[in-house]
Amino acid sequence: MQFDAIVVGSGITGGWAAKELTQAGLKVLMIERGREIVHGEYETELKDPWQMPLRGSGDADLYAREYPVQMLNRQFNEYTQGHFVNDKDNPYSTAPDSQFNWLRSYQLGGRSLTWGRQSYRWSDYDFIANKRDGHGTDWPIRYADLAPWYDKVEEFIGVSGAAEGLPQLPDGKFQPAMALNVVEQHVRRQVADKFGRCLTIGRTANLTVAKTEEGRSECQNRAICARGCSFGAYFSTQSSTLPAAKATGNLTVVTDAIVEAVDYDAKTNRVTGVRYVNTKDGTRGSATARMVFLNAGAFNSVHLLLNSRSEAMPNGLANASGVLGTQIMDHANTLSTIALFPQFNGRTTFGNRPTGVVVARYRNMDAMDGVGHTRGYSYQGGALQSNWGAGKREAGVGEALKTRLHTPGMWRMVLVAFADCVPRDSNRLTLDPVKTDRFGIPQLQIQFAFGKEEQAALAQAKADAAEMMTAAGGNVIMGSDQPGTGGMAIHEMGGARMGHDPKTSVLNKWSQVHDVPNLFVTDGAQMASSACQNPSLTYMALTARACDAAVKMLREGKI
Amino acid sequence: MQDGQQGGWNRRDFLGAATLLALALGIPAAAASLTRIDADEAPTDRQRALMKDVSQIVIPRTDTPGAGDVGAGDFVILGLAHGLENARKPLREPASYARFLRTDGSVRHVAWLEKELNARAGGDFLAQAPAKRLAIVTQLDAEAYVTRDSESPWKAIKALILTAYYTSEAGASQELRYEPVPGRFDPDLPQTPDFKAISNDWTAVDFG
Repeated sequence: MQFDAIVVGSGITGGWAAKELTQAGLKVLMIERGREIVHGEYETELKDPWQMPLRGSGDADLYAREYPVQMLNRQFNEYTQGHFVNDKDNPYSTAPDSQFNWLRSYQLGGRSLTWGRQSYRWSDYDFIANKRDGHGTDWPIRYADLAPWYDKVEEFIGVSGAAEGLPQLPDGKFQPAMALNVVEQHVRRQVADKFGRCLTIGRTANLTVAKTEEGRSECQNRAICARGCSFGAYFSTQSSTLPAAKATGNLTVVTDAIVEAVDYDAKTNRVTGVRYVNTKDGTRGSATARMVFLNAGAFNSVHLLLNSRSEAMPNGLANASGVLGTQIMDHANTLSTIALFPQFNGRTTFGNRPTGVVVARYRNMDAMDGVGHTRGYSYQGGALQSNWGAGKREAGVGEALKTRLHTPGMWRMVLVAFADCVPRDSNRLTLDPVKTDRFGIPQLQIQFAFGKEEQAALAQAKADAAEMMTAAGGNVIMGSDQPGTGGMAIHEMGGARMGHDPKTSVLNKWSQVHDVPNLFVTDGAQMASSACQNPSLTYMALTARACDAAVKMLREGKI
Repeated sequence: MQDGQQGGWNRRDFLGAATLLALALGIPAAAASLTRIDADEAPTDRQRALMKDVSQIVIPRTDTPGAGDVGAGDFVILGLAHGLENARKPLREPASYARFLRTDGSVRHVAWLEKELNARAGGDFLAQAPAKRLAIVTQLDAEAYVTRDSESPWKAIKALILTAYYTSEAGASQELRYEPVPGRFDPDLPQTPDFKAISNDWTAVDFG
């Protein structure tokens, strides 16, 4: 099989690469390691809980044996388990004294089916962060380089949100915002008045206005997105980029095929294609192309480069610098506060809004006011009322219990901090020297720990959150300043960072490998710092920008 | 502003917080080593009848069905076998339940409940009058929640009764309101006394 371009992976960025490259007229092969999932044919989407064997809770015994990591994902349950990997069949290793929960979805659409849909722009506070405090290496781009690509992506995927005019969280091309509930409206006012901080509705890739030309309806407020949405109301590969790419007639999709190596020709200094394993029968195959885009997900793209070592590149493809695999990151997150707002009992809501709220970053912007850290953190969360599940945790039986659970319960507000994760050489990916998967491919080994900067940020976040809740009239009942295990933010990134200098970075400002011009890495692997925003929107914008550059270079004969 | 619970917080709120924290921190909800259910743990007819009766006591029939009416008893047994509500997690302090432990350190909940209720009844629990059965279960329940750390097997049983009931068709859509496709979000409504909770408010199911 010969193509103009091969895209490895079909998730959030793979779908974008396929769309952009096919729309530019290139013949594209998109290879996905997981099974095919057809839009509109989501097996559990419309099932009522009483139709599910274990009522939506799922088989905890099975999960403990075969999904011990994936089951930690809040989105993981009996309805959605088919949208997550089986950990037993998809092993990875961790370095001694390291812990990392790698939350994954191997299927057509990848994690675009299960993502949290939060879509935030980075600002120049983020792009200058490494240069300013000396951690990591400087980004070769700034906000102005990416702004038009954010515009393009937002308009296509559909992001609902409120414009707030914040320099640290730039406004985008928003569809109308979803509404803050009664408690969140109150807290927004209090936090603005008393602290000058901004609590705003989550900027989420759920449509509030249908995109009828693309066959996508507005959100129905079910909040069951991770089952798959036949309304096409949230952005996924299936609902959005895949139909656009297919419509060009230029796309070939192969599923159930793990790319195990990218082939490199030392004579031309070009990659020539990929080799893959058919997961159904273990047979090997290959495909060739004029250029290759890696969109396998941050850690898997790095894994693939490491495993593509050759005589010419014994330390891994695209690793002339020796930094491939280093400076991986994940946001340090924790539950900073829970506060009760009993004064709002008597008010309630209707409908399941598929987003929470965000409190935009406010530390270490123009004034360096972080205590023990130089980066930012922001909060996500929301206000909610307890329901029947609360009955599991309190004494009570009989009619009194039934009556109590008949109406919505106590209002509480939750704020979860996401702190910027400093890039460190000690946090890195390597190939496990011994362990392999069922196809003989070396397992990825993850070495990861948060450091004193993240600890300090979360300590300040906890104190700030309690202060804000108390000032807003809430009754703080608990809070934490301890980061969760790495991976739990599901924002793992880095390992093939972008930079100015081929000696200290893997990619140039076009997400192009410094030393191999027809190889691009446009997923989370390219990140040189983490900021504190959810990263997917930035990955998409970088992918669209890289595709545009790659097509121009191809046409100019430069690659 | 409305009245309602003012000030302070109760154990229920704290435990909700603990659940949230466990999720945020990625602490495994169940222990790693589990064994399959043994054949000799298949429930007897009496145990099934007992679990149905207890379910009905926890959520009785009013103008809507009770938990026993909708098959909660059997679901509890199924859920326990599959380790829901951490039912297959080894106890921290197993001595109190030594007679009911499996080799993996987890409790055989059904056998425990049968013995416990009979002991409290001073005979056959199911032969007691309804008021006495209610009193026994109420006492057992109250004792289980006295301390947050209590490992009473009752907690998992009661949790599964509630899951069984509020995810049944009657519990979800008659007793509560089931709205699989709300179609809109109303951010601020008066919570009148007749306002039924939404059974499929998934965020609250997780975090409530």
